[in-house]
Amino acid sequence: MLKLFERERLNLEGLSPEQTAIEVRDLNLRLGQKHVLHNINMRIPKHRITALIGQSGCGKSSLIACFNRMNDLILNSQTSGEIIIEGRNINHKKENLSLLRSQVGMVFQRPNPFPMSIYDNVCYGLRLQGIKQRRQLDDAVERALHEAALWEEVKDRLFDSAMILSGGQQQRLVIARALALNPAILLLDEPTSALDPLTTLFIEELMGELKKRCTIVIVTHNMQQAARVSDYTAFLHQGELIEFSDSDTLFTMPDKKQTEDYITGRYG
Amino acid sequence: MHQVALNTHISDRFNLELENLRNSVLTMGGEVEQQLIDTLKAISTNNPGLAEKVILNDLKVNSMEMQIDEECLRIIAKRHPTASDLRLIMTISKAITDIERMGDEIERIAKLVTKQKIPASESIKSSMLQIGQQVTAMMRGTFDAFARQDERAALIVYDQDNRIDSEYKKLLTFTTGEMSRSGQSMEDWLEILWALRSLERIGDRCKNICEYVVSLTSGKDVRHTKLESLQQKIDDLT
Repeated sequence: MLKLFERERLNLEGLSPEQTAIEVRDLNLRLGQKHVLHNINMRIPKHRITALIGQSGCGKSSLIACFNRMNDLILNSQTSGEIIIEGRNINHKKENLSLLRSQVGMVFQRPNPFPMSIYDNVCYGLRLQGIKQRRQLDDAVERALHEAALWEEVKDRLFDSAMILSGGQQQRLVIARALALNPAILLLDEPTSALDPLTTLFIEELMGELKKRCTIVIVTHNMQQAARVSDYTAFLHQGELIEFSDSDTLFTMPDKKQTEDYITGRYG
Repeated sequence: MHQVALNTHISDRFNLELENLRNSVLTMGGEVEQQLIDTLKAISTNNPGLAEKVILNDLKVNSMEMQIDEECLRIIAKRHPTASDLRLIMTISKAITDIERMGDEIERIAKLVTKQKIPASESIKSSMLQIGQQVTAMMRGTFDAFARQDERAALIVYDQDNRIDSEYKKLLTFTTGEMSRSGQSMEDWLEILWALRSLERIGDRCKNICEYVVSLTSGKDVRHTKLESLQQKIDDLT
């Protein structure tokens, strides 16, 4: 029978290691007395955009922070279970966190450029890695700014302060800073909630391009954004993973009633 | 006239999705048009094999309707279209129902050949084929108006249905007269009358789609508009 529309629906539970960017096994997270994440098991597909949605406090930001061990910075945090990235369990105590954070980049809600030039912002991570050759840094800065769709706007003022850029430009600069390290995974925690609707659409378009070179995991409060940008969506509720499927299915025919209630605004 | 610009969204993916959706309707329309051409050919050449192919091919049309419907649902859920984008998707969702029904009517006409119930009277047969040609032209004009989102073309095609209706009524009167004189059974005649009715109904379905095109481009709902006022609108345009 003639197929009019091409649609990909990966079997997320049966993803092979080659297709998997992040595999989460029995993940539990406690922050102080609070049990934040309960037995999370999921496989996040490579080179796709996966959105994490759920009510405030459901644990979605905590989950994304587990993927580059940002929760280590919180006192009294306890993590158990495994997170497999690039074939190794990143929860292992001997994990090299600098290496991990260069492989798994993160962009936050508010653009956080460093108070230095645009150029220095982008090559900050590379310099930390010991790269000093000007030629190499120039190339990396140009490539990262191109990939973050910012090059044309800043190419003539690379040595101006990053602080004079607009909010949308600053956020793209931060994305470029993460991309300069050539990450396999890019974590975006509410990346557009401080931006206007049009700039938001530009960043969303950018995500569509970026997934060709890395896996993207995005946390968003904006359900419409999750629907627009993501290929796969996970719904979390009170620290539990309720449903994880392709976004087409989740937003048209969710399997679980809790998901249906949340996305249709019947929650609570 | 106001066309829905499919390629001006910030999101290229959204542009592509709308373009694919529109093209899929045209693919479905082209398929149904070919079905009608084949059916008329099967009647004129008394070819049951070709008619059988038309009947089987209707499954393809049904599947297309389901796929396009699902895509409309997906786009509404994921893109939250508004204004002209929303009107386009609602238009498509309604138009494919009409196109699928056209397919069903064509299937019924094709069964006339597989059941060997083609009118014995040459004059009825040739009048039937003549109306069939008019309906085919109307169908082509409808999909063309849809593709170009051309309100004027849609209103002109809309007007063609009046001619088809009057031809149909004339043929119906003639056929009723022939029934008493001919040796064909009443069952055969009923099948022929149903097939004629189906042909006329295809014209009505085209008319519906033309109304949707006018609503899409002008934002005005012209359904259930009196013919005179619509005629005035056509006169103003031409």
